[in-house]
Formats: sequence, C-alpha cells, structure tokens
Amino acid sequence: MISTVVFSSILISLAGRLTDLNDQLLLGINSLAGRSWLFDSVVAFFRDNDLAKAGVIGCCFLAAWYGGKTSNGTNARRKILIVTLIAAVFVIGTTKILSHTIFLPRPEIQSQKIFRLEGDQLVEMKRIQVRIPLDDTSQKDYRALLNGDVETNDLGSFPSDHAGFFVAISLGIWLASRRLGLIALGWTLFVILAGKMIGAQHTPLDIAAGAAVAIAELSIIQYALRKRLSGWLDKLTGLTLRYSALSSAIIFAVVFEVSSTLVHVRAFLGLLAAMRRHVLLGMG
Amino acid sequence: MKRISIAFILCGLAFLTSCKLQKEGLVVMTDNSYKASVFATNKMGFGSPDGLIWHKGKLYIADEGGSALEVWSKADGLKTLMDSSFGISSPEKLVVDSEDNAFFTDDDVGGLWEVDARGNRRLVAGKDKGLIYTKGIALAPDGSILVGDGEQHEVFRVTKDGVVSEFLGKEYGITRPEGLVYDDKGNLYIADEEDNVLYMLDQNRKLHRLIDRRDSFSPEALCYVNGLLYIADEHFGKVYVYTPNDELKPIATFAGTFRQLQGITVDDRGDLYVAVQTDLKHKVGHIIKLSKDSTAIAQQ
Repeated sequence: MISTVVFSSILISLAGRLTDLNDQLLLGINSLAGRSWLFDSVVAFFRDNDLAKAGVIGCCFLAAWYGGKTSNGTNARRKILIVTLIAAVFVIGTTKILSHTIFLPRPEIQSQKIFRLEGDQLVEMKRIQVRIPLDDTSQKDYRALLNGDVETNDLGSFPSDHAGFFVAISLGIWLASRRLGLIALGWTLFVILAGKMIGAQHTPLDIAAGAAVAIAELSIIQYALRKRLSGWLDKLTGLTLRYSALSSAIIFAVVFEVSSTLVHVRAFLGLLAAMRRHVLLGMG
Repeated sequence: MKRISIAFILCGLAFLTSCKLQKEGLVVMTDNSYKASVFATNKMGFGSPDGLIWHKGKLYIADEGGSALEVWSKADGLKTLMDSSFGISSPEKLVVDSEDNAFFTDDDVGGLWEVDARGNRRLVAGKDKGLIYTKGIALAPDGSILVGDGEQHEVFRVTKDGVVSEFLGKEYGITRPEGLVYDDKGNLYIADEEDNVLYMLDQNRKLHRLIDRRDSFSPEALCYVNGLLYIADEHFGKVYVYTPNDELKPIATFAGTFRQLQGITVDDRGDLYVAVQTDLKHKVGHIIKLSKDSTAIAQQ
C-alpha cells in the first residue's frame, strides 16, 4: 500500500517535471520563430514541401535498397527495408490511434483561451505563449485560428505521426546502411522535426513519444518477422532480385508515397471509407 | 531485456499521465471576453439535449436522448413535462409563448406537440396533417407556429387549433429547415443544416441567402436576442453571433466529445446556454454556459 502511494507520488512528480521541461524546451526552440521572415520561410518550406521534406529520406531509402556490394549484402538490406516499411505502417496506425485517444492540442492552439473538461467541470488550460512564424502560410493559419477555424487534426498532436513515421523509416535505413541511415536520421531530426517544433506545431514530448513508438514497434517487428517469417522474407527478397524491373517499379511507387507522407494512400483510404458509408450503408 | 521492458513501461506511464489520457471535450474561446463552464450534466436528470429555451427564469429542454420535454428552475430542479408514454420519441426544437405554453417538434414521430401552462399535453397536429419529419420551430408574430419539415423540404404554418397550411413551399429551395427564429423587425431567419445555408425571409417574403459557406458553416439552431442572432453550428462545433453590420463572428469552437452542438438560448443576463449531445446513442449530454468573463473584460 505504502509502496503504491510512494510510486504514484513519484510518478505524478515525474510527470509534472516532464511537462515543465517539455514547455521550457518548446519555448526555447520556438524562440527562433517570429524574428525573421526569411528564416521562417525557409523553415516552413522544408516543413511543408514534400520533396524538400521527405525527398531526402526517399533518396536514402533507394540508395540503401540498391547499394549492397554483393548479392547477399543486397538481400540482407532489402529484408531490413521491407520489414521497415511494414513497421512504418503499424507506427502510423499506432500514432493515429493514440492521437485520437489522448487529447492534447497543438502548442499554437494552446496559446488560445481553452477550457477542457475535467470530471464534470470545464477547467481553463494553461496558455503557452508561443511565437508565430512570419511566413505566409503560418500567418494565414494563425489568422484562421483567431477566427475560430480549428482543424480536428490540430487537437490531437500527441504523439507526432511525422516523428513516428520518419524515425521508423530512417532507423530502418540505418539498420541497412549506417552511413545512409545517419543522413536520414539527421535530416529527420534537424530538418523535419525541428521545423515542427520551431513552428509550434509539436512539442518535444510529442516528438519523443512518436519516436518512442517508432523505435519500439520497429524493434519488435524486425525481431518478430525475422525470427518467425525468415523464409518468407528470403523468398520475397529473392523475387526482388529475380524480377528486378518489376521490383524497381514497385519500390519507386513506395518511395514516392514515403516522400509524400502517404498523402495519396490516405486519400484512397478516405475514398474507400466514403464508398462504404454511401454505398454499403446507404447514406448517399 | 526485462529491465529495458520495465523502463519502457514506466516511461510510457509517465508520458500518459503527463498528457492526461482521456478523450475529452474542449472549448476554444475565439471571443476572449467569454468564459465557458458546465451548466448541467446527466446528473441533473436529462439524457441528451437538443433544443433549449430560456423563458421567465426557467430552462426548457427538448431532450432527444431521453425522449422527453423537461423544464429546469433553480427552485424546483428538473421536472419532466412530457415523456415517451405520451407517444413522443425524439423531441427536437421548442418554443414557449407568452402564456407559458410550450410547443415542440419531434423528428422521429413527427408532428407539433404542446404542453400548456397547466401541464395539459396534446398533439397539436400530427403526421396525418402532413407534419412528417418536424425540425425547426418559431413563434410567428400573428400567434401561429411555424414548423420546418426536413422530409418535405417545406415550412408549415400551424395554428393553435391544429390547422396546417403551407408557409414556404418547395419552390423556395430550403432542404432542411432545422432552425427558425424571428427578429424584432419581423424578418424570419432559417437555418438549413443540410445545404449549410442561413436564409432570411424579409417582411416582403423575399428570401435572401445570408451566409453560404458549405465548407465551413452549417447552422443548426438559432436564437435572436437584443438585436443579435446567435447560431449553433453542429458540423463544425461552433457558436457564432451574427449582426447585419458585423457579419458572422465566432464566439467559441467546441471540439472532441463536445463537437455535436444542438440547441442554443440566452438567459436574462445575456449568458449563452448550448446543448451538447456528447453521445446520443448512450444518452449522454451536457449543457455548456458561455458567460462574459469579468476578468477578461477588465483586462481589455
């Protein structure tokens, strides 16, 4: 009983410190924004433009796919990369489910006056005074926020699905090729994710949680698939070498989607959901 | 491996407790002069509220989830005026006239229903008179009641004797008249929740499309007080105030489990009450109060 109370109080105290640290880190990183239009526009370009943001990761993935010095080396790399792609899909699923369960708006939304339901009472949330970047898109979004346009996606920022997805892919590349993996991880951390924090779209805690999901799921899936389905993976990688033209075409499509953060796959899934609603359930 | 697993689980717990793991309701104040509070929950006794009307110090509730018409006052608490034993199923919107007679629509069994000031209950006009899928309701200046029908895409005039006549036919192009209210000049505002349009029918019976923003605006309930038209937007979870001069100004955005806004009303002090259907299927609802924040006003 006593140990439970002590454990709970330690956990609460740890959580409080973690939240304070998270806020301080966010404000520190975000203090770079809102000072120079040029800096903010460059950060926004690399944050929002798919080619600039994820193209580098896609290039690293392709280089790792084709970069083995021997056929055995290529085979081993491809096994890792195929499992990485499967893990990335699971990571996206997990981060999406978590963000719909844990209610934590984006920091820029938390700069507004917000009341959150706690028990039977609405309690005003602590406001985070973030700096708004000066680039055109951020300013337009901020004006929309002041007019009450709050996107549903902006209300569940924990954990960051960008962090989960790109850390999973980059780590997979790192497992396949150390040098290419370091480039991918560096780009993910210092360009994609730093841009998200500078623009106050995610807190360090969102990023850390997304990365933790990615590391955990990638490790588990790499371990499980390579232990249990090693034969199947061997066959699949063998096929990619035998039918190299076809596998190149497929891997191009996959890398294209990775580089565009699965936007076309999401649109396709949205269409399927709409078809289910309108055709099968007779709502249209 | 065991230690790593324990460390991982502890870190996970720390993350979750610091982020308040719960799927909850949020109210983002766009107008900082307001503050939000919970006025009532299911503990008061209602199910999932739809229409609301503040009248002479009492709050009338069309309880869609609880299949009842209820009234709340500070002195008496919540009282049920009519329930499903009288044949109603899904009370939608309501009005109360100057003699304290309450009228409401029902979008399941249809018709216009009344509970008079003495507590007598009756069906004023039902499906047999053409009121099939009744939604919005308004007290007309001549004492009759206007009822919007979402299936026939018309607005009907109903006298207190139960005589039904067409007020706005299909030719006006209103698909689902969900909210109806008159202003002090005799203009009728109509919220079409399906086409996402706010209409105004002027005194010359000319219909104006006041607001038509399909991608961001879907009016559900209307309330007109002291020259201001308050609008509850169900799809986008917003509360607006509209004036012809200032156009549409958002007051608050409701999110999470609070997204389904239904009724809206204003009390004698100018505080807003918004009915939220948190979970209609499980009869869960809230009434949220938006009142002027004296601290914010002082700061301004």
